[in-house]
Amino acid sequence: MSEENKKGLPAQAGTIHPLSLLAEEAYKVFSDMGFEIATGPELESEWYNFDVLNVPKDHPARDMQDTFVIKDAKEKVLRTHTTAVIARAIEQANKEGRIPSAFISVGKVFRNEATDFSHEMQFYQIDGGMIGENISLSNLKGVLAHFYKKMLGEDVEVEFRPSFFPFTEPSIEVFAKFNGKWLEMMGAGMAHPNVLKNIGLNPKKYQCLLFGGGLDRIAMIKWGVPDVRLFYQGDLRLNQI
Amino acid sequence: MKYSYNWLKWYIPDAPEAEELADIFTYHLAEVESLEKIKDGKEEDTIFDIKILPNRAHDLLSHQGLAREMASLLEIKYNDPTPKYKITKSKPTKLIKTIETPGCRRYMGRIVRNVKIGPSPDWVVKHLESIGQRSINNMVDATNLTMFDCGQPAHVFDLSKVKDLKLQVRQANPGEKITLLGGEEKTLNETMMVIADDYGNSLDIAGIKGGKYAELTAETTDIILECANFEPKSVRKTAQALNIFTDAKKRFENDLSPEVAAFGMTELSALIAEMCPEAVFEDIVDVYPSKPAPRKLSFRTEKICKILGLDVAANAIGDILKRYHIEYSENGGVFEITVPDLRLDLTMEEDMAEEIGRVLGYDKVKGTIPKIDFKPKGNELYAKIVWARSKLLNDGYSEVMTTSFKDKGKVSVLASASDKNYLRENLSDGLKESLKLNQTNAPVLGTDRVKIFEIGTVWTPSEEMRVGYVGKTEIKETTLDEFYKEMPKDFSLIERNYNLGAKFKMWPLYPFIARDLAVWVPEGTKSSDVEKIIKENMGDMVIRGPELFDEFKKDGKVSYAFRTVFQSYERTLTDAEINEIMAKISDKLKECGWEVR
Repeated sequence: MSEENKKGLPAQAGTIHPLSLLAEEAYKVFSDMGFEIATGPELESEWYNFDVLNVPKDHPARDMQDTFVIKDAKEKVLRTHTTAVIARAIEQANKEGRIPSAFISVGKVFRNEATDFSHEMQFYQIDGGMIGENISLSNLKGVLAHFYKKMLGEDVEVEFRPSFFPFTEPSIEVFAKFNGKWLEMMGAGMAHPNVLKNIGLNPKKYQCLLFGGGLDRIAMIKWGVPDVRLFYQGDLRLNQI
Repeated sequence: MKYSYNWLKWYIPDAPEAEELADIFTYHLAEVESLEKIKDGKEEDTIFDIKILPNRAHDLLSHQGLAREMASLLEIKYNDPTPKYKITKSKPTKLIKTIETPGCRRYMGRIVRNVKIGPSPDWVVKHLESIGQRSINNMVDATNLTMFDCGQPAHVFDLSKVKDLKLQVRQANPGEKITLLGGEEKTLNETMMVIADDYGNSLDIAGIKGGKYAELTAETTDIILECANFEPKSVRKTAQALNIFTDAKKRFENDLSPEVAAFGMTELSALIAEMCPEAVFEDIVDVYPSKPAPRKLSFRTEKICKILGLDVAANAIGDILKRYHIEYSENGGVFEITVPDLRLDLTMEEDMAEEIGRVLGYDKVKGTIPKIDFKPKGNELYAKIVWARSKLLNDGYSEVMTTSFKDKGKVSVLASASDKNYLRENLSDGLKESLKLNQTNAPVLGTDRVKIFEIGTVWTPSEEMRVGYVGKTEIKETTLDEFYKEMPKDFSLIERNYNLGAKFKMWPLYPFIARDLAVWVPEGTKSSDVEKIIKENMGDMVIRGPELFDEFKKDGKVSYAFRTVFQSYERTLTDAEINEIMAKISDKLKECGWEVR
């Protein structure tokens, strides 16, 4: 009874959650490109989630994300993106003299909005950053085109459209062409000088590419999962890979 | 904001067709959320809903603004309406406007006498309705049209209600009340700005919404026009505190240049002059305490190229600046420009990189994979998670993810969009629910032993990474570090081959019916023979099986037991219809000479 099944696992092995599998694949792609895996807290400070990233209080840009605020802890929020992890990682790397550097993080993020087939209050994001003296938008395109080809197939094309985020300038909306359709995948851009200053780096010397987007979304496109809420219902019928 | 293609064409008559224009917006400016073709009698129009983000809300939230941008981008003619907006006769005025707070950056007013409140001309109604606005009366429409045309919010007061012809902008008094247009009453505090008279009456919440006090009525004959400019943070905070959202507020909170007020006043006057040819205009009162100094910005061609990762020549940049009517001087690739008043988004070199990049089009940027001198270190937390997951999968546990939000816990979130206001303090509660669900579905899953695990964070109230798992016995839960202590020294990850190209199959949302069937066959008969008969007669609503789950030999006979699970994508199946199918299968098996148990 210990023959292996098709997956090369012992016959009685359990099934993996598709998002865990996708995260492992994504980490592999970025590790191969020289990125270091970074992790950080889910309950984050306002400082790292917003202020460090040039999203000031009382600014319409704060409206761009629906945030969970914590009772009796005004300075804490459930992180709305994993960009906070990248900021922390680069700040730490700088303290350790490790510039240039590149970091990638996959983690749970939270949005306080009504749920439907494409919106959940918790989901996974993948965020990354690479800092150096000559890092440019061309590098951003190269990195992301490679990533989406690995995730969704060699036929995938990637294009950049103008956008706005307070933490990047230029700011880009990244689209990927999959099965003949252009789909919105990620926000990205070159780190805003204020972000670099806030984490102790000289924006005149360094340039940093940043990107971040939903991992659930990639899974839904790749495998045809129709509803994001299915990922978090604890239903084993989800584990089909 | 919604834009009418026909309205835009008043200013850019040589604009390309609507669909092509939409693509140009998408690749050089902002996202087009929708494109709607409307028909009004014989006239057709296309309405774009464009997502103007905070960086261009200073200058693009108006038809003229967008048209000017397109004229520069596409190098086409822009029909400047300014010459049309001349008011030839203007009388001296006794209107007094004062600014009593630094939150108001410009305050313009103008008395207009002898107007008649009535319906607006057709073209005004058409313009407003095309972008989803209602026509109310000529005066109100004129203020709305001005705002959607040139971006300046404007207001009109009934002059007879303004005592002594004096208006001031000041901070509200604590507890001051105002009844707004539409009848709602709001209570203000000293962080909020109002337009008021000298007698303590507030007429308007500055930059947000007007009050009933000086509202126009059918009898109004004399009015005061107002175009002003307010500090963005104050307007935003006030509007959020009072829960009022208006198009005026949207423009002020994104920071509008005080320079626009003058143009707005000119346009508003011209509109009213057109609608009421007998109107008598008095001089404009303009309180402008400190006109912003012209802003200069210096940037280097080489920095632009470095940020974009694209070779752009200095004269190519110069061409773009010329198209956008930006005054500049250039020396050895270093540019110094005078930033146009309305372009509050251009403040540093990086802003210019974005400007040049988007005008040229980001398709010009080619992708290159960077190589940096950096040695990535392993991440300890991730390594532990991967090991824990691998071990549990290997031991036959399947992975689930459950929600972090519960209806009890030690950390609570405020104003959640759901009724679960707490962060979970353990994984066990979620695993319990998941276990129940999966045990119910066990026949569909094809197992009688549900073993699940989750690796995730809980809040005790401090954040902790935990591992929870359950099989036959009670749920076990420990911290990830505790669990990891059991890792053997010679551990290595098991290589797994996943079919990453697999397609997901959604399961039916209707209940399933599982049926077991066992049959005695002579020794030597293969289970696949029995399976074949079942397959041929089971119909097309089988979600799983037939699966052999038991076999044993006795007295020269073999017993095979199969489980078949029925489920429909369209409806709930009935016992009766499944019974019928099972009976049919039994009959067919009997025909083979086999004994159904």
